Amino acid sequence: MILQKTLAKSPRLEAWMELLELASGLFLLGFLQFHLFNVSSIILGPAYFDHDHNWMVYTGIPLVVLAIGVHGVVAMRKAPWQFQEARIFLQHSKRLAHLDTWAWLVQIITGFLVLILAAIHIFSVLHNWPIEAVKSTARVQGGYFSFLMLLLLVAEIHAMVGLYRIMVKWSWYKRQKFTPYLVYSTMFFVGLGFITLLVFYFRSLPKGLS
Amino acid sequence: MAERLLTFDIFRYNPATPEIPPRMQEFQLEETVGMSLFIALNRIREEQDPSLMFDFVCRAAVCGSCGMLINGRPGLACKTLTQDLGEKITLMPLPVFKLVGDLSVDTGVWFRYLNVRTEAWIHTDQVFDPKGLEERMDNPTAHRIYEAERCIECGCCIGACATANMREDFIGAAFLNRIARFLIDPRDERPAAHIFEVVGTDEGVFGCIGLMACDDLCPMEIPLQGQLAYVRRKMALVALRGK
Repeated sequence: MILQKTLAKSPRLEAWMELLELASGLFLLGFLQFHLFNVSSIILGPAYFDHDHNWMVYTGIPLVVLAIGVHGVVAMRKAPWQFQEARIFLQHSKRLAHLDTWAWLVQIITGFLVLILAAIHIFSVLHNWPIEAVKSTARVQGGYFSFLMLLLLVAEIHAMVGLYRIMVKWSWYKRQKFTPYLVYSTMFFVGLGFITLLVFYFRSLPKGLS
Repeated sequence: MAERLLTFDIFRYNPATPEIPPRMQEFQLEETVGMSLFIALNRIREEQDPSLMFDFVCRAAVCGSCGMLINGRPGLACKTLTQDLGEKITLMPLPVFKLVGDLSVDTGVWFRYLNVRTEAWIHTDQVFDPKGLEERMDNPTAHRIYEAERCIECGCCIGACATANMREDFIGAAFLNRIARFLIDPRDERPAAHIFEVVGTDEGVFGCIGLMACDDLCPMEIPLQGQLAYVRRKMALVALRGK
């Protein structure tokens, strides 16, 4: 027995951390795709986009910010923080040349990018409250197109690789069976987001707002 | 078959002679029909360098002693044919385990320690009656136990695991598979909560990040993804029920 390790050991807490990572991850995945569908309503026209959704936003944004914080903290607990650990992981990944192992590095990098980009995104939207088709159009045309495209890509990749990992870790299905469906879904969501951004980019704005 | 001249790039280090630093050494060998790495390594030792250390016992993927990194990936040298590899073959010892020398590692101590730590045996209060009839088990259960029991403890899943490489105390797929075997077995009277104390932790199943190199590289093709998920669900249920 080693005193400090035995005293610090708590299987229950360690299990709950894992479940918290799972639950917050699933919640954020649901939110991301729901958010994407909502925003893509601009494809049908501004009338579909500009409806009163404030009640949803006022409860939703604090919840999402909280979930991002919780998920960030619990997911980061396993990252190779120490320099030596990071080197071991990179050398191991190179030797192994194994896609799933590299995917973890993708998760860590996209996770960090989402943290930074989502913070900027939420701030820029709150700064110019409320959400309206005209304002969103002005934002996309005013230099945010590539920023939002990058956020869309890293968020979707992080979310879908995360979903893959969840299904690998918890489900009854062999990963070879569900992987193609996850790839198609990722392509669908990224495609939908890209079309949405294009619609925003090429919409004509009333004078004085461009 | 066109004869190829194979180049072996082999990791060399003998802990008994620490003054000679670890290094890679090249050997060349003419390929023969149906040559396995077992044959190749034995020929190198017999014809070129009698000091080369590596482990073999059964030559038939049963004993699990010849696990090594073949071109960076864990595998059994006896089961790997040179015809499936390129002309240049890199061989290194399995990581995580203690190096005995060159390609030989000590998997025994590691497995023995975890066998004791996870108490990998049937826990029962029933007294064995050597004259009584054997208790029956239904066929699907027996099959599921047998699936887990096929593990030969070669250590390839451990060498392939990023978590095991980074964290010394992680018990790895071999042991989570072993745990699955006892969770399935109706003769083991241990409550899941008892196993939870050792396995429902970051050294156990919750330390696994699901990179599935174990599942992809297990030489016995044990369905480790399913075995790990089974243990994970069982342990999560214990945590949720709070007992």
